[in-house]
Amino acid sequence: MEPDTASSTAADYAVELIGITKRFGTFTANDKIDLRVRRGEIHAIVGENGAGKTTLMNILFGLLQPDEGEIRLNGSPVVMDDPSVAIKLGLGMVHQHFKLVPSLTVAENVFLGMEIRRNGLIDHQAQEERTTELSKRFGLAVDATERVALLSVGIEQRIEILKVLVRGARTVILDEPTAVLTPQESRELFATMRSFAEGGMTVIFISHHLEEVIEVSDTVTVLRRGKAVATRPTAELNKAEMVRLMVDRDVSFERPTRPRTDGKTVLQVEGLWARDDRRHPALRDVSFEVRAGEIVGIAGVAGNGQTELAEVLSGLRPPSHGTAVLNGRDILTLSPAEVRAAGLAHVPGDRMTRGVDGNASIASNLMMGRQDRAPWKRRGLLDWKAAARESIGLIERFDIRARGPNDTVRRLSGGNIQKVVLAREFTNEASFLLIDQPTRGVDIGAQEAIHDEIMRQRANGVAILLISVQLDELLKLADRLLVMFNGRIMGTVDGENADEDQVGLMMAGVSPEQAEHAA
Amino acid sequence: MEVLTSLINVALIVATLRTTAPILLVALGGSFTTKAGIFNIGLEGQMLAGAFFAVLGSIWTGSAWGGVLCGVAAALVFAYVFALLVVTFRANEVVVGLALNILAGGMTISLMKAIFGTRGSIVGQGIVGLPKIQIPYARELLGSWAPLVSGYTPLVYIAFLSVPLFVLFYKRTRLGLYIRVVGEKPEAAEALGISITRIRYIASLLCGLFAGLAGAHLSLGYITMFTENMSSGRGFMAVAILIFSNGDPLRVLAGCLLFGLADAFSLRLQTFGYPSYLILAVPYLVALTALFALSYAARPKLIRETADSMRRFLRAETPDSRPTEGSR
Repeated sequence: MEPDTASSTAADYAVELIGITKRFGTFTANDKIDLRVRRGEIHAIVGENGAGKTTLMNILFGLLQPDEGEIRLNGSPVVMDDPSVAIKLGLGMVHQHFKLVPSLTVAENVFLGMEIRRNGLIDHQAQEERTTELSKRFGLAVDATERVALLSVGIEQRIEILKVLVRGARTVILDEPTAVLTPQESRELFATMRSFAEGGMTVIFISHHLEEVIEVSDTVTVLRRGKAVATRPTAELNKAEMVRLMVDRDVSFERPTRPRTDGKTVLQVEGLWARDDRRHPALRDVSFEVRAGEIVGIAGVAGNGQTELAEVLSGLRPPSHGTAVLNGRDILTLSPAEVRAAGLAHVPGDRMTRGVDGNASIASNLMMGRQDRAPWKRRGLLDWKAAARESIGLIERFDIRARGPNDTVRRLSGGNIQKVVLAREFTNEASFLLIDQPTRGVDIGAQEAIHDEIMRQRANGVAILLISVQLDELLKLADRLLVMFNGRIMGTVDGENADEDQVGLMMAGVSPEQAEHAA
Repeated sequence: MEVLTSLINVALIVATLRTTAPILLVALGGSFTTKAGIFNIGLEGQMLAGAFFAVLGSIWTGSAWGGVLCGVAAALVFAYVFALLVVTFRANEVVVGLALNILAGGMTISLMKAIFGTRGSIVGQGIVGLPKIQIPYARELLGSWAPLVSGYTPLVYIAFLSVPLFVLFYKRTRLGLYIRVVGEKPEAAEALGISITRIRYIASLLCGLFAGLAGAHLSLGYITMFTENMSSGRGFMAVAILIFSNGDPLRVLAGCLLFGLADAFSLRLQTFGYPSYLILAVPYLVALTALFALSYAARPKLIRETADSMRRFLRAETPDSRPTEGSR
């Protein structure tokens, strides 16, 4: 790909990656990728999981060394031996997982690695003053003296950005920055990004949220299986075209049409309270019901009680008080196995700890929890032949990409591990399905398959409680949406005509009436 | 009442400070490794090696300070080997620590046999003990309270004066800050170009320095002799205190004083004719019970992580089974 010399010269580009190739063993993560980012633009990089986005950014930032290819900054070739070189050259990276030290203050975190010292001792006061000044200049409000452990993720991200700015970054790389934010926080972030670009800085933005890419970026580069398949001005692409470039086929984002159902109540939760691991109240007076053939969505920013709700309902966490009746039986005093016997199937939010035994085979994992039943048990012993037969069927039906039923689960990709959990839980003929984060870490193609399977369960008359931090997933699937904030249900929204802004405000703790006004 | 007053008086406090000093020194040393995220149960061995070589050094050089230098050097060698195995070769820290403890125990015994031809202990032979420092005018100003501040060996003063310096070190110096960051959030350190390896080596060696001083204090402080296994579990006590204090200097001091008090108290009790083996267990029981009661609610991260690392080790997982750096 030659730069079109008519309108721009090499020096107009803040960052150029030319022919970058990176292999991990036999796997080629980046295959001759070209990426040119103009100074002063917001350049989005999109692609499925495993398309090579993070690898490419790690190469640019010096965390990985490319096997082939060249990096140029402002037209001159550079070698990124390690991140300190990149930082010196004016690059700054805000990682997907924040790297802040919880016991230190905001200012200490911002200046970590470049402390202001006087007489050999760290000058905390000067650091705090500089942090406050910087946060005012860039509109990133923080309290410099607060300990990071006490702050929300939205503010943690601001601190990460301040860290980058204080090191003099002119090009800022943001790796899936909105994954942990509420829609309002995301919007504030976009405003910050735009002000950076207007100030002549360059922003590289990795995302798989295409609405956001369309909203904020000037140019978009699409990666697919390690290759850069297109670089276009964002205005020339719509969402469907981007997806087609990403997965090489059409994917539907439409809310599936569905018959109205009026099934009987399967789960009735009344006045439920529970505490989290630190003994703080995590659920406060939660009441709702789930009917047969209905998907009830729980929306909320992670950490507002959803995890605890799932744990209480699956028998993993004792509640403080309240009732939960499943198929006419109070389940709150039951053990996890007994709750399952009463009709629950549970797809846990953290699949590696509670969903699978990573060191066991696919066949074992697909059997777990039902080894006492036919066809897995025969004459009091496990029937491994039957287990293998069952597994082969499920591997096929759920499109689990593996070598066979004896493959170790840990060796699979995140999306395929999730499919193992779904394959087990969706075939338990349970009357109530508790699904926590069905598509976490799963790419767009596989997401669609999982969504279809959830809709199939609904059609079969299963009552479904769907917990997700991805609002668009809930808006697509849920019949009713309950919004959780700080352990309470802020309100219920009808899935058919839910408004993203209204739900977003409720996720941030605004009451439904006010949210409706504001949105 | 009479029993109480004969038990609790200035002499008891003085004895407490004296018995606290060695464990405080070794625990402060361990504070470096604890803060840097290394679970160091090799303190006992470093201290024992320090004690033995301090005696050797004082005989060779004819000076107590020569002895202290030798003791510190020996402990540093142990600390360096520990760091080499744990930090560079990523061996399991519990296994390495235990191995070095056993090595120190065996090595001191066999060297004693080889050099002095004796078993059990080295006494006399020209060992020079550390001098006691008399603070000027202490007796005139404080009268009978003077022994509280005056007349200790130098390492006692060093131990207690180190505590505020440690607080300052962790709060206001760059190295102190980096040690904390490396222990609490290594990813953060790495992302900022702080070398985790280097910081952990430094922490290990600083730990060796203090463990060596503690050992020298044992064998050249109030008694000038070396006996087999003379650290007698103080290094392990320090490990316990470190776990419960998370390496915070002030809490380390509190824990060590508690142990020192119980130790001094048990020495007193012996004069009342209780069976000595029971009484010798008193300090350990008191300290452990108190520490456990104090901190059960707030079990620090280090315990959980160590338990995890032990579990991983026992499962003998190969290192390459960890998920590799992938792209998203």
